[in-house]
Amino acid sequence: MKTKIKKLLEEGRVDGFFAYKTIHGFFFPYLFTKENMDELEDWKPSSARYPIAKLLLAQARKNPEKTYGVLVRGCEERAVHELYKWNQLDREKVVMVGQACTADLAADCECWKPFPTDVAYGEAVEPVAKSARVEMLEKMAGEDRLKWWLGHFNRCVKCFGCRDVCPVCFCTECSLEHNKLVETDKLPPDSSFHLVRAIHMGGRCIDCGLCEEVCPANIPLRVLYKEVGKLVEEVYGYKPGSDDGKSPFTFLGDELMLPPGPR
Amino acid sequence: METEKKFEPRIVAMLCNWCSYAGADLAGVSRLQYPPNIRVIRVMCSGTVSPHHIVHAFQRGADGVLIAGCHIGDCHYIRGNYMTIKRAKFMEGLLNFAGYSPERLRLEWISAAEGVKFAEVVREFTEKIRTLGPAPSFEASPRLATAVL
Repeated sequence: MKTKIKKLLEEGRVDGFFAYKTIHGFFFPYLFTKENMDELEDWKPSSARYPIAKLLLAQARKNPEKTYGVLVRGCEERAVHELYKWNQLDREKVVMVGQACTADLAADCECWKPFPTDVAYGEAVEPVAKSARVEMLEKMAGEDRLKWWLGHFNRCVKCFGCRDVCPVCFCTECSLEHNKLVETDKLPPDSSFHLVRAIHMGGRCIDCGLCEEVCPANIPLRVLYKEVGKLVEEVYGYKPGSDDGKSPFTFLGDELMLPPGPR
Repeated sequence: METEKKFEPRIVAMLCNWCSYAGADLAGVSRLQYPPNIRVIRVMCSGTVSPHHIVHAFQRGADGVLIAGCHIGDCHYIRGNYMTIKRAKFMEGLLNFAGYSPERLRLEWISAAEGVKFAEVVREFTEKIRTLGPAPSFEASPRLATAVL
């Protein structure tokens, strides 16, 4: 990590680089610049995950003229790709250096691509093709599934953690805070709170799972968004996070791409 | 004497201003009979119906939601209804996964000349909801948590 990132900073290819630094024995995301590049550490595998794409987005918005580098995992690379497509980040202003996830982390995440396109650090491990949790839910009868979800949604404390940590939730105004759509002063919130968020994740969620990791109530949000992603892929053949293509909900398209239905 | 109250479905219908609403109008002036279970909301285009509104309708106790717009190719806004069908297809899958019957959401294309079709769709949909019964509660409740977990 030292040499590669240092070189980018020294050459002036990037103005800042988002990587990790050990603080009190823990990995923390850290912005390295020319001034503090001597603090760069050697790369080592870890399971620490942070919304690094979101930090990058915040900095890029503040300093639109600057170029930033970022150390990405598979999911973080997908997030950056998605932010390109939604015109939130400039392709020319971002340099990505990839790191692969460990096999343990990939299995834990049920990740379908636990490595970025170019792996600079670590060894790429086998992806997990199917989510066991989604399959478990799909086998359930409809009524039980509703009860299962409502039982989980019931614990929601409406902390907005899932939204705040989400790397692809880039809107500056959020419909979840609109009191005509989601009632304020109500706990647990209407279960439509979670469904509305799920709808917004359609064609956007890159399956990083930070939402579930950060949830203080342990709501299995990732399963919900995994299914959302699966639906979009099945019906429209679009998988968020790929380098090309666009979410089917961002453009009208032509008649040929419409799903079957009444005509 | 106690009589069991008969279940009357409550259906929210979102009709597009240019075709389906006029179709409903035609059904009215032609004096066609259809069940009084629908509550019509006129929208400028079926493509303006946000999934929020659909979820919100169910949250507030609607037993069914009907969305009707112009036929593909006839949209007043050229391709507004392309978005409607994309969203509806996605919503169906999502409602199903959330454990809600996707049959409670229905998308139909009804033109301004199809008063008969409008009456027919409402009749059919009302009957369908009647057989499905009242919609399950959408409210997250502590009781359910203990029952399931």
